[in-house]
Amino acid sequence: MALDRRLLLRGAFHGTAVTMALPLLDCFLDGNGQALADTGKRIPTRFGTYFWGCGLTKELFVPKTVGANFETTQQLASLEPYKKKISVFSGLRAVVDDNPNFQHWSGLAAITTGIAPSKSGEFDSQTIDQTIADAIGRGTRFKSIEVTCSGNKNESYSSLGGANTNPPEVTPLGLYTRLFGPGFQDPSKGDWKPDPQVLVHQSMLSVVSDDRKRLLENLGARDKARMDQYFTSVRELELSMDAALKRPDVVAQVDIPGAPGELSVNKSVPVLQKVVPQMARLIAIGLATNQTHVFNIALAEPGSTIFMPGDSKPFHQQTHEEPIDPVLGYQPVSADFSTHSMKFFATLVKELDGIKEGDGTLLDHSLLLAYTDTSFAKLHALDGIPILLAGSASGRMKTGYHVAGDGSPVSRVGLTVQQALGMPVDSWGKGSMATKKPFTDVLA
Amino acid sequence: MNGYRRLGHHLLCTVLTLAPTPLMAAPWVRSFVVDKYEPAFHYGGRPGFEKTGTIEPGVDCPGGTLPMLDYAKVTKTSWRSDEEVASWVKPAQVTDLQTVHYMQERILSYRSFRRDIESYINPFTAPDPGMPSVVGKVAEGFNLDGNVKTGRFISPEGEKGIDNAFYRAVGCIGSYRGVPYTAAMSVRSTDKMLEGMYTMVIRLSGNEDPMNDDAATLEIGYSPDHVNKQTDGRASTSYSFRIVRNEQYSKVKAVIRNGVVETQQVPELHTPRFGWFPNQMGDADFHQGRIRLEIDRDGFASGLVGGYRDWRDLYTEDTFTQSGATVETRDHHDLVGMYYALKRNADGMPDPKTGENMGISIAYRMKAVPAYVVDPEKPVALNVSPGDSRAIKKYQQMRTIFRNGTMTATIQANPKGSSEGAPQLRQRADGSWTNSDGERGAQRDATPPIGPSTMLQQRVSEVSGEAPAASLSAR
Amino acid sequence: MQGNAAPRICLVFGLLALALSQPAVAAATRDVANLRLLTESEYRNSIRDIFGADIVVQGRFDPARRTGGLLAASSTVLSVTPAGLEAFSQMADKIAAQAVDEKHRAKLVGCAPKDPKAADDSCARPFLERYGHLLFRRALTADELKSRITLAGTQAQSSHDFYAGLANSLATLLYSPSFLFRHEIAVPVAGSKTYTLDPYSRAERLSFLMWDTSPDAEMLKAAESGRLNTAAGVAEQVDRMMSSPRLETGMRAFFADMLELDIFGDTTKDSVIYPKYNAQVAAAAQEETLRTVIDLTLRSNDDVRNLMTTRKTSISRVLASIYDVPFNFNEEWMPYEFPESAGRSGILTQVSTLSMFSHPGRSSPTKRGVAIMDVFLCEPTPLPPANVDFSIVNNTSGPLKTVRERLLAHATTPTCASCHTHSDPIGLTLEHFDSLGVHRLKENGAPIDVSGTLQGKTFVGAGGLGRYLHDSPKFPACLARKLYSYGSGANSEDVDASVYKDSYKAFVDSGYRLRTLLKTMVTSPDYFTVVPLSVAETKTAMNTAK
Repeated sequence: MALDRRLLLRGAFHGTAVTMALPLLDCFLDGNGQALADTGKRIPTRFGTYFWGCGLTKELFVPKTVGANFETTQQLASLEPYKKKISVFSGLRAVVDDNPNFQHWSGLAAITTGIAPSKSGEFDSQTIDQTIADAIGRGTRFKSIEVTCSGNKNESYSSLGGANTNPPEVTPLGLYTRLFGPGFQDPSKGDWKPDPQVLVHQSMLSVVSDDRKRLLENLGARDKARMDQYFTSVRELELSMDAALKRPDVVAQVDIPGAPGELSVNKSVPVLQKVVPQMARLIAIGLATNQTHVFNIALAEPGSTIFMPGDSKPFHQQTHEEPIDPVLGYQPVSADFSTHSMKFFATLVKELDGIKEGDGTLLDHSLLLAYTDTSFAKLHALDGIPILLAGSASGRMKTGYHVAGDGSPVSRVGLTVQQALGMPVDSWGKGSMATKKPFTDVLA
Repeated sequence: MNGYRRLGHHLLCTVLTLAPTPLMAAPWVRSFVVDKYEPAFHYGGRPGFEKTGTIEPGVDCPGGTLPMLDYAKVTKTSWRSDEEVASWVKPAQVTDLQTVHYMQERILSYRSFRRDIESYINPFTAPDPGMPSVVGKVAEGFNLDGNVKTGRFISPEGEKGIDNAFYRAVGCIGSYRGVPYTAAMSVRSTDKMLEGMYTMVIRLSGNEDPMNDDAATLEIGYSPDHVNKQTDGRASTSYSFRIVRNEQYSKVKAVIRNGVVETQQVPELHTPRFGWFPNQMGDADFHQGRIRLEIDRDGFASGLVGGYRDWRDLYTEDTFTQSGATVETRDHHDLVGMYYALKRNADGMPDPKTGENMGISIAYRMKAVPAYVVDPEKPVALNVSPGDSRAIKKYQQMRTIFRNGTMTATIQANPKGSSEGAPQLRQRADGSWTNSDGERGAQRDATPPIGPSTMLQQRVSEVSGEAPAASLSAR
Repeated sequence: MQGNAAPRICLVFGLLALALSQPAVAAATRDVANLRLLTESEYRNSIRDIFGADIVVQGRFDPARRTGGLLAASSTVLSVTPAGLEAFSQMADKIAAQAVDEKHRAKLVGCAPKDPKAADDSCARPFLERYGHLLFRRALTADELKSRITLAGTQAQSSHDFYAGLANSLATLLYSPSFLFRHEIAVPVAGSKTYTLDPYSRAERLSFLMWDTSPDAEMLKAAESGRLNTAAGVAEQVDRMMSSPRLETGMRAFFADMLELDIFGDTTKDSVIYPKYNAQVAAAAQEETLRTVIDLTLRSNDDVRNLMTTRKTSISRVLASIYDVPFNFNEEWMPYEFPESAGRSGILTQVSTLSMFSHPGRSSPTKRGVAIMDVFLCEPTPLPPANVDFSIVNNTSGPLKTVRERLLAHATTPTCASCHTHSDPIGLTLEHFDSLGVHRLKENGAPIDVSGTLQGKTFVGAGGLGRYLHDSPKFPACLARKLYSYGSGANSEDVDASVYKDSYKAFVDSGYRLRTLLKTMVTSPDYFTVVPLSVAETKTAMNTAK
């Protein structure tokens, strides 16, 4: 059947009183269950974050046009090949209300928690990746994997709240060993175990279905149809649980690589240019083989000290000491570092998009959140913090947009991301960043 | 601003001012909240040049904005060899650039005539490098002493005798030089103000007419209520703000002619301070202070605040809000040079005993949007967080120490827990450098390259005992 | 079973004992007249009242659809989509987990299992019975209870955790249709051909209308004992509910629906033209209107028609900046009365009404006029014809300077005039207020003419409009109609005014007091009269067969 079942259901119930032809289910399922609604898809949706410090250069990254088909700007040039799969958000604000603006901290905490932090270096709630991992991270070996690219184990921004952060892998070899070393679950062999919670939920659902007959009594035809719709929904949940009890297929075309060699890891840009692709590739393969569904990768710390060899000042120092060029209107050396930060993100995007999976790529079945700590590092400004999203979250996200935030709080992106992943969240964030409005332009 | 109007006013020639259409005299109040504020430095570069952060030469600074300090030159002293200078400024075997930076900060902090003297606290113990002054003739400000001979500037509207010696002394500094409201430090300060760090409000009142009133009153002070920023970057209009009558509050008489407000000149005018960190907040005490505001047709205001300010306080605000080394490396100027420049340009507030000029003439410019300034019905204080309270105490302590030292020419020690002096670094036997605390240093030696954030956090807690929010981690 | 009951649930045990002694619900003569899906606020308030205010409810609710001017009408047509069920199931899990966690179990579970790692039916039973009763708004049937106790036991055993089993079982109550749907059950009236709502349904009607929440223990007791079958019993409960401050919750929910305040969720303003508008303004504007309405209709017990003319309101600091008045900071909300010169009139000129029914960049007399007619007069306007040319109206830089000029030019076309001559004059009188609700006297440099003529009467400005609406019988009639429809879940366009004519008369005679309208409406013997669908369908079949 060619009908989009979700559309049909939506269309039917947002209109007049309904009489639906029953049964619904048979006509929407083929033998393999391939056409199940999102809850039953056997290719899981993945989520990941990419963090870089010290922001971007407003003059060089904000696309001039808003909406779809935005024109690629200089600082986003490395993302041009993936333009249709990314979205760019400009003009968003982190609003701290009565909390201080902790430099190189409040902005990033606002994006990943929706809350202005009350202490520097701490989060006032768990970060969004952990909330998402609670929802989509079941059934994999690791709830989430954290990686840092420049060798410092303190540089992780994934947290369960407070001062602790989830410890990251700091070298490619370390990441490889974690993912594919001892304990590696080859999805095509060995003992894969289903999530026991699914069985629990199945028993619960059956108790509700048992009431069906009695509840359908004494109803008029219209209300009978509505009650039946409820039980159809129950049946659909049951089917998606059946699917979850079966070993997931690895539909990605990927080979497990050999271990990488020892590599020195530090903040020099040329060294990062060797390390980041390795990390990105390992993450991609880890996702494709369902070792985890959630990852976090940090380029460096919020006051990013990546540097060019020979140059006496790292990125962060440049942002404060470099004068604004009178002709260009921005700080050129700082801008170069920001451009590198985007190139490293493009590396990650490339690795995920390079793995074919099902009818698309791993990137298509993922959602990546790229974020930073400030809009203008020289001032530690919080107004206009850039955020990028990549991947279409298995079709729930529309991509290729430039969304002008217009002073909206950054928490709207976090809300949008969670809704795109099918999580039952209607509001997110606190204080002036409390929001109920996702960016519906990019929600499918 | 209309030059004719200004000139006419200053000549006190009422014939030249047009008589307004008489309105019914009635009590009136007009209030504002400031949403842009900065030292009134006149940019003397290319006319019509609009871009931010200008560095190019101009009639104000023919050499351009002051360049980055040459660390090697600045830190060379009689007791420090060239090799030692090089080992700190360009240390070999230290691959972590943040460590290099801290080493540079440390050596900059100690360049007095003796090795153990911290130079930002005791700038008089280091030689005067001679900070280039502004040589242009034009400056914004006021003729504070009524003497056209003493103020060597002419205002953009042609008024002679403008006293703005602060501008002369430090007007070529990178953080402050540029087209109005675009210099890096003022953008930073305005950004913080609009994010709610502090709120400055003004209330005008009178009994005749808001555009023409001989007996108006101007009040200025802090408000505990945050500015609300609009999507166009300005403060949102018509918001209400409570005004706090603490030591930063002033009430002065004013005369208004065609929307131009001139307050009387008062011996002490207390106002909120220009700043970008909470510990800078406090009283900007202008001696012989006065304010000029121009109100446009839409009720928006722009103006000047001026007077003589204690020059040591100006040095303190710039230096000890963070640390001297942070400021020198970021703002590209020599703080020791600034100390001497301020001292030699000081032109007011003579000390009755010594005759030394304790004050320097200065002016700040501002823009403000219409607001409602109300007296709170219940007493209300400004919001100061515990962290900010501690920072303010430390800052006050540094101010006192610095003043005492420079006024009595007595060398002061760097107090425990201050942000001055940069990290304690020591050299190991193999020539490499590490952080001073032996134990932690040893731990870190064993691990691969240390990230600056770790060192930073440790160093700051060692030095100041508090979380890295305030001083050195902040740039 | 009462052996280890905590003192604070004695009342509930009492009523449970009563409940268990009642016969099971008999199927034969209990037709469902209406199946009503709980609204989001009814769901949330029910959870709050049943489990406690500190239980967090986080989830997404399927959107409702406004019919006959009310979202409440969709309760009788919406069902639970697959995504909706998934959301309810996740919410249920989270609520149940909180209810049995260490912080809450002492208060909510009230008994301790013999072994916390094993099943314990004697502790699970009273818990499931009690909450089942409150959630289903009736006693569970023997089968329903048995299956829940069994589930709790098997889950406790397989997970070695009594509380996990209990939570899972509780969750099945929370997403059951018996919680999510209100079953309005019709029973025949002895000695007549009419049907009336059974006492449980009456309990639901009264509670959801007046307090926007599930019937509490006392109300359920009145249902079980049959007290609600009597006029005196109904009057008792009505008086109890109306004298409680919780009446404000119920009426807020009603007015939020009638005044369409949810539209703020979709309202955006052009940030270049209106840089002051943001989410805080939207939230404050909604609150202002609700406060004004509640203050006038409930606290002051004033003539509701004064909602069209009052200049009194409550404003916050944010709103003070929009209305351009000083704020006194004594409390978060400040009572304020507009001077006459402000040209404001009732809720017609509050930021809410003015900004919700405008374009992002400019005001729209048509939108405002259409909305006012729909919301306050129960006169919805049909959609414009498909081939309409909007270019003249939308050209703000052409020769026609004000909106009035552009609209009037349009209204000379007969197909357009039929609607526009009704809606536009209303909106045109409000043109002294821009898209945000800020006062202005000129548009594009030209002074704004705020006169309007409707059915031969001319009025000027918002004050004139307010008085016109105040004096029109259509507004109170519409209010009564909508209140009735909200309570019964009907489409207000389909309701026959005769069903509430007595209470309407009392309303008018009282000087248009909302309390009078409400009380007489729900205590009227006809309020609970329903037609079960089986009868309605039979009639329809018979009619079509003719």
